[in-house]
Amino acid sequence: MRLRRSLWAWPAVVAAGVWTAAVLARVQAIEPETGQVSSLIDYDRQVRPIIEARCLECHSQEARKGGLSLASYGDALDGGRSGAAIRPGSAAGSLLVHRILGDVEPQMPKDERPLSEAEVALIRRWIDEGARATPTSPPAPPPWEAPLALEAPAVPDVQWAGWTRPLDRLLATYLSDHQIAQPALVDDRVFARRVHLDVWGLLPDRASLEAFLRDPAPDKRERLVARLLADDEKYAEGWISFWNDLLRNEDGVTYFSEDASRTSITPWLLSALQSNLPYDRFVTTLLNPTLPDDPAGFLTGVNWRGETSAAVTPWMQASQNTAQVFLGVNMKCNACHDSFVNRWKLKDAYGLAAFFSPEPRLQLFRCDVARNEYAEPWFLYPELHRTPPSPSLADRRATAAAIFTDPRNGRMPRTLVNRIWGRLLGRGIVGNPDEMDGVPWSPAVLDWLASDFAGHGYDLKRLIGTIVTSRAYQMPAVPRAGEVPARDYVFKGPEVRRLTAEQFADAVGAITGEWTVAPVRGGTAPPAPARGTAPRTDSDPVTVGVYAREWRAGSTHLTRALGRPIRDQVISSRPTQATTLQALEFVNGQILVGWLQRGARRLIGELPPEPVSRFNAAVGGRTVTPRSFDVDISAASWLWLLVTDTGSNAPERVLPVWANAELVGPDGVTPLASLAPVDRSGLRPSDGADSGKLTVKNPSRLVFDISGRGFTRFRGTADLENPRSEVGATLNPALRFFIFDVEPTGERLIPPAQGTPLPPPPAMTTTSAVVEHLFWSALNRPPGPEERRLAEAAASDPARPGQPAPDGVADLLWAVLMKPEFQLIY
Amino acid sequence: MHEHLPSDSDERRILQRLTRRGFMGVTAAGTLGALWGREPGLLRAAQPARIEATADAVIVLWMAGGMAQTETFDPKRYTPFAPGVHISQVLSTFPTIDTAVDHIKFTEGLGQIGSVMDRGAVIRSFMAADLGFILHSRHQYHWHTGYVPPQPMAMPHIGAVVSRTLGPKNPDVPAFISIGQTIEGPGEIATLKAFHTAGFLGADHGPFLIVDPQDAASAVRPPENLGERRFTSRRQLFETLLAHEPVYQYGGDFQREALVRSLESADRLLRSPSARAFDLSLEPAASFDRYNTGRFGQGCLLARRLVEAGARYVEVTSEYIPFLYWDTHEHGHERAAAMKKIIDAPVAQLVRDLDERGLLDRTLVVLASEFGRDAVTEGKVGKEVRDQAINIPDVMAEPRHYGMHRHFTAAGSLLMFGGGVKKGFVYGRTADERPCTTIENPMPVEDLHATIYHALGIAPDTAYVVEKRPVYVTKDGRGVPVKALFARG
Repeated sequence: MRLRRSLWAWPAVVAAGVWTAAVLARVQAIEPETGQVSSLIDYDRQVRPIIEARCLECHSQEARKGGLSLASYGDALDGGRSGAAIRPGSAAGSLLVHRILGDVEPQMPKDERPLSEAEVALIRRWIDEGARATPTSPPAPPPWEAPLALEAPAVPDVQWAGWTRPLDRLLATYLSDHQIAQPALVDDRVFARRVHLDVWGLLPDRASLEAFLRDPAPDKRERLVARLLADDEKYAEGWISFWNDLLRNEDGVTYFSEDASRTSITPWLLSALQSNLPYDRFVTTLLNPTLPDDPAGFLTGVNWRGETSAAVTPWMQASQNTAQVFLGVNMKCNACHDSFVNRWKLKDAYGLAAFFSPEPRLQLFRCDVARNEYAEPWFLYPELHRTPPSPSLADRRATAAAIFTDPRNGRMPRTLVNRIWGRLLGRGIVGNPDEMDGVPWSPAVLDWLASDFAGHGYDLKRLIGTIVTSRAYQMPAVPRAGEVPARDYVFKGPEVRRLTAEQFADAVGAITGEWTVAPVRGGTAPPAPARGTAPRTDSDPVTVGVYAREWRAGSTHLTRALGRPIRDQVISSRPTQATTLQALEFVNGQILVGWLQRGARRLIGELPPEPVSRFNAAVGGRTVTPRSFDVDISAASWLWLLVTDTGSNAPERVLPVWANAELVGPDGVTPLASLAPVDRSGLRPSDGADSGKLTVKNPSRLVFDISGRGFTRFRGTADLENPRSEVGATLNPALRFFIFDVEPTGERLIPPAQGTPLPPPPAMTTTSAVVEHLFWSALNRPPGPEERRLAEAAASDPARPGQPAPDGVADLLWAVLMKPEFQLIY
Repeated sequence: MHEHLPSDSDERRILQRLTRRGFMGVTAAGTLGALWGREPGLLRAAQPARIEATADAVIVLWMAGGMAQTETFDPKRYTPFAPGVHISQVLSTFPTIDTAVDHIKFTEGLGQIGSVMDRGAVIRSFMAADLGFILHSRHQYHWHTGYVPPQPMAMPHIGAVVSRTLGPKNPDVPAFISIGQTIEGPGEIATLKAFHTAGFLGADHGPFLIVDPQDAASAVRPPENLGERRFTSRRQLFETLLAHEPVYQYGGDFQREALVRSLESADRLLRSPSARAFDLSLEPAASFDRYNTGRFGQGCLLARRLVEAGARYVEVTSEYIPFLYWDTHEHGHERAAAMKKIIDAPVAQLVRDLDERGLLDRTLVVLASEFGRDAVTEGKVGKEVRDQAINIPDVMAEPRHYGMHRHFTAAGSLLMFGGGVKKGFVYGRTADERPCTTIENPMPVEDLHATIYHALGIAPDTAYVVEKRPVYVTKDGRGVPVKALFARG
């Protein structure tokens, strides 16, 4: 019963397949009725019942005594902390056998009746026969031990035409060894779509795609890849989210730690990607930040205010994260206690932490209880350990960086190339990129890539280029494999992948010209007023936002639904499942609906430019500074006075006021308060003492009709009425005041700066142009005849045949974006 | 020369006009779960005995911001406001009142909840963790996941654990619904994302978020600016385009099918008769009015409707916004009085309605907060942590100084109704004199969770396998259910 549980969790498809295989095996292996068993032992029917009855008490997945689970076939082969329990083909060499015989103490099952001779004999026979999963399976491979040093494999001869480069030759050998015939490669269109997404994170545009398709040159794929990689900006913006996920870099979210506040590494990371900083130097700088612009935030980690347990101090986080990210070593268990599932001990986690801690000597805590044991800097692999020249933090960090990037440390490049391979082909050569002790499906491919990477200056772009120009990458996509035990996995091509949240959002931007708007970091400050002159008439920079690629903005309901993480933990691969909640965000979420409405209008040239305010000022913070204005309104007939809240602690307790607000005209000065707004609902009752004050709600929108009054100037001060004593931490008000003389749209009060990450599509005036554009830009192909007919009918304005209607275009856009063909990368 | 440089999220509100509405909490994944595109497997509970569930659904009424126990459900000596009185003299700023149960007393302003105490229990010994310098969201994270952040894995919200372990009660109603909390915003609001997540359990079990109960219907209705007709035609267009697309030579079908099916199931949810449960306008006016003390009261009504329709776990929050609602750093008395007005009627009405509909027996209602409050002590007694009361002098001078302005983790009150919980029962006791700490039956978060899980038939050492190791639904599997709270023993 217990064993079956592990099957439940598998994706239905896989589980069904396994079940069928098991039944088939049973049918073939057992002679009906006679009870006679064919020559090979049946693990499921013969071995498993013994294990269930005699071993699972202590060796379930949960109990894992000695780190060993025997709960599934895979677990049994994985072994425990003492290494492999089973050496297929050699019962005499298998620890499991020695334990049940008792010639290695303690005898198993511990403190219980030993297994019967017949049971021992059966298990021995099963192992000697190769510890097969089923009688029809091949013998299990020998236990895998991940090497530390790189071993560049000998590259076999060319055996398939066109598969001439070393990586291709290695793969051809691998595939033929697995009885796979030389595969056809994907066509140019599919290839172009893949590489654009993989190098830039953007879909190919029609013009360059068509040029590529027409290009007869045999090396056009290589040239396309080289061209994409040469664009530093697009490459960096395409890959930064991958690194942000791994390095836990999330701008704008802090957990208020009083002494280890989260620090952004974005500027460094972006420039490291743009300049293609060699990976050994990349790692060195993350482990040993020395300059002011270096990414100190990575080692600081993610810390919450207050006391923390010993296992998650900044340096213990650094220990876990550097091991996971750069070496593929999972040290989460042993940050608290010796691991039950792998060989790492508590002291290993502390030894690595001691390279990064303020003090060079760390007291060990087991499950948060202090022990009389101390750790000094000590690396996980003794053969690479170096003792820091001094106990100073600078020296310890520098030493850690030297150890991680030591050319003898094959795990560093191996872990990285496996991550990149996994990103580009859907699954790593070692299936779990965070567990590099796992079995690679081809040790030769893994080590060739890692050696090539290390041997060519740790050049990330070159590595990506090598992979995407390989035949492996150009093979047709296969369905996502789900959980296949590493030993059963056979590479048959890249997996079908899904657009990331950022790729999805950037695609909407590119298709419609309506991009995400992100705040400009350190935007231009307004000009300072000259001393001793009239009140300042400038306002805050009108441009505080730019059209940008999605990664630059914070996450939203939409992008989180599409898998963008909040990066509290290291994220090596994002969830890609389609869920109901995610689909609700597509079907009914306001963000996408609003975005596509605007996008459709922009596409057909019906999105009027947003009005620019005459005055706009941020008022708030712990010390509120009133902001004066004096604006020319001589051409205005109406005035709109807006107050918006941008994140006060208690918006309804903030008391905005337009103080000393007056209109200057031919008849002198008229207090604004003497005019009646069109709608009084934005007003807040005032004490009435000061007629120059217009007390308003937060938020509020007041409209005044000033037509025919000849006013030329409007002046006054935007301010808050709250006593300054309560402003501070309690309210921490954050408001913006706006004055418009044209009706604001209500969608964006501050228009973003001109310019988009890619040139916008030209405004389209015919439905056929719109349809053509949508298919080419979203699906990278022309519409089929029936698709064209359906799409044109949907996007056309019934009143104006052939002309697009904004709603119809928005709906067509939605229907196209929902297509699996758009969301999946084949 | 900005005095105030708004953060990204501030500006996005202006730039993008972000709305508060959206459905998803936070998608996150333990690395392994994500990698394999599957959910972590459930481990058998070490305790083989099956627990007989006494509840099928849970409603958590979340008093966000730290509800002062001596101002609510654990009355102590009343001291009226008077200038010159030392704050250490003030244990409670409200007189004590009777409830429907002789031996249970509350403070003034909670008469309606008092009137239904013959149907539930009060627990006065909730002990929040001692985490040093206090941050609300950190304690809320702990309360909702059972684990203290930071954590090396994304820990799931208790609602997600219930969703994953028991599944939906009605497939057309999301199993985990969270009502009333915005997680979009600057500063500490952004940190609430960290626990509004199914974490390593996978996005399917994440919260279905409804910020404004009156807007809930729009969550299950075509978008306003689209309208029913366009909504339908858009869907048809998608289907016909799909039917006419060229056949693809690459890749299998199951990822494609999964995407299409997810859209279908979203559609089904919108079209299902259960979707009417989201629409508060369908509630008779008299009934609506009985609940309507604002967003929280409407949330209670929505919770009742959703549980009637088959929701599994619903949380209604009074909403955490720093320095607002229950987060009383000054004006404590006045603000506690206002909060009681908000919660008293709807909480009592929820209990009565569930009872009348025969649902209370199988629905566990829990009213809770991340910690208590005190006038003098910040944190735990005898341990100095940074004081966060706002300019509150030791001797009261004005009403602003009157109330429980400090975070207190040595006691807190909870209510439980239904789901097999004893009626008219008191569990735990606090001292009658300052510091009024818990002196009997302390209940830490893991035991509270174990108790809630126990009612649902989930063992406290139920575990999920993440990165090859078990992660338990109560910390280290050690939560102990308080069986004394259950009528069956």
